Amino acid sequence: MAAAVPVVEEAEDYSFLPIIHDVIKCMDKDSPDVHQELNKLKTKIQEAREQISSMPGIDMSPAVQESKLQTLREQVQTKNQLLQKYKSLCMFDIPKPS
Amino acid sequence: MAAAAADKSTKERLLSTLDDLEVLSRELIEMLALSRSQKLPPPGEDTLILELLIQRDKEFQELMQTALEQGRVHQEMQSLEKEVEKRDSDIQQLQKQLKEAEHILATAVYQAKEKLKSIDKARKGSISSKEIIKYAHRISASNAVCAPLNWVPGDPRRPYPTDLEMRSGMLGNMSNMSTNGVNGHLPGDALAAGRLPDVLTPQYPWQSTDVSMGILPPHHGNDFGLEPPGHNKENEDDVEAMSTDSSSSSSDSD
Repeated sequence: MAAAVPVVEEAEDYSFLPIIHDVIKCMDKDSPDVHQELNKLKTKIQEAREQISSMPGIDMSPAVQESKLQTLREQVQTKNQLLQKYKSLCMFDIPKPS
Repeated sequence: MAAAAADKSTKERLLSTLDDLEVLSRELIEMLALSRSQKLPPPGEDTLILELLIQRDKEFQELMQTALEQGRVHQEMQSLEKEVEKRDSDIQQLQKQLKEAEHILATAVYQAKEKLKSIDKARKGSISSKEIIKYAHRISASNAVCAPLNWVPGDPRRPYPTDLEMRSGMLGNMSNMSTNGVNGHLPGDALAAGRLPDVLTPQYPWQSTDVSMGILPPHHGNDFGLEPPGHNKENEDDVEAMSTDSSSSSSDSD
C-alpha cells in the first residue's frame, strides 16, 4: 500500500561529478564563472545534507529496518489471529422475543 | 570494517560519504588550482584523488537509492504500526466486553446457586399441607383471628385478651404482689384471693351463651344471631375434633 506512492526523487541524479567537472572546465578556460560554479557545488552539498537530515526511515541500517518490518508483520498476523479466535468463541444464542 | 559499516545507520553512512566527497572535491580543485598557478604538470596524486572521488560518488548514489527504498519501507512500517494499534484497541474492547460478560454471568451463577440453596432448604424443612390445614382449623376454632359468626357491635368478646382479663390472669397477680397488694380500685383481700367483683368479672364466650345474648342491644335479640347455612352442632363438633387432632398431632410432631 505504501509502495504505491510514487517517489519523484528517484529520477534525480545524486552525482556530484558533473558539477566538479564544470568547475575544472572553468578553471582550464580561466573563466570568471569559476566562483559561480564553486558556489553551485557548495550549495548542492548543503542541499544534500539537508535532504539527508529530512529523509524518513534512515535512522537505522536496512538490515535492522527489515527485521523490524518482519516483527511488525508478525505482530499484525498474531493480533489478527487473536481477534479471529475471540470472534469465533462460543457465543450464547439469545432467544429473540416473539 | 564491513560489519561496522553494516551496523551504522544509512543516515550516518550518507553524511560520512558526503563529507568525503566534499573534502576530496576541495582537495582536487585546490591541487589543480595550485598546479595551474605554478605552471607545473599535475602530480600523479590527483589521479588517485579523482579515483577516490568517483568511488565515493558512486557509493553516495547507491546509498541515496537505499535511503529512498528505506523511506518506502518506513511508510509501510508506519501503516503496519497503525494497523497494530487498531488491532490492539479492538482486542482491548473485546476483552472489556468479555470481562463484562464474565461479571454478569458470575453474578447470575451466584444468584442461581443462592436460589438453589434456598429451594433445597425449603425442601428439607417442608411441612405437609395437612399439617397447615389442621393448624388453621385450630387457630380459627378459638376465634383468635376473627370474630365469631354471631358477633355484633357491642359484643365484648375480642380475639385478644381485654384489660380485665389481663388483670385477672397470673401476670396481673404477679404485678399486684410486687406492689404489696396496694391497688386504687380493689381491696387487698380480693386481689390476694385472685378474684374480681361480680361487676368487673369478664364474660367469656365459653362460660354461658345466655349471658352473651343478654349483652346484645334491645329489640335485636336474634336478628344478628344468623348462622350461615350448614352451620350446626355437628359442624362445630367436627371443628373441635379437628382442632384437638391438630393439637395432638402438632405436639407429637415436636
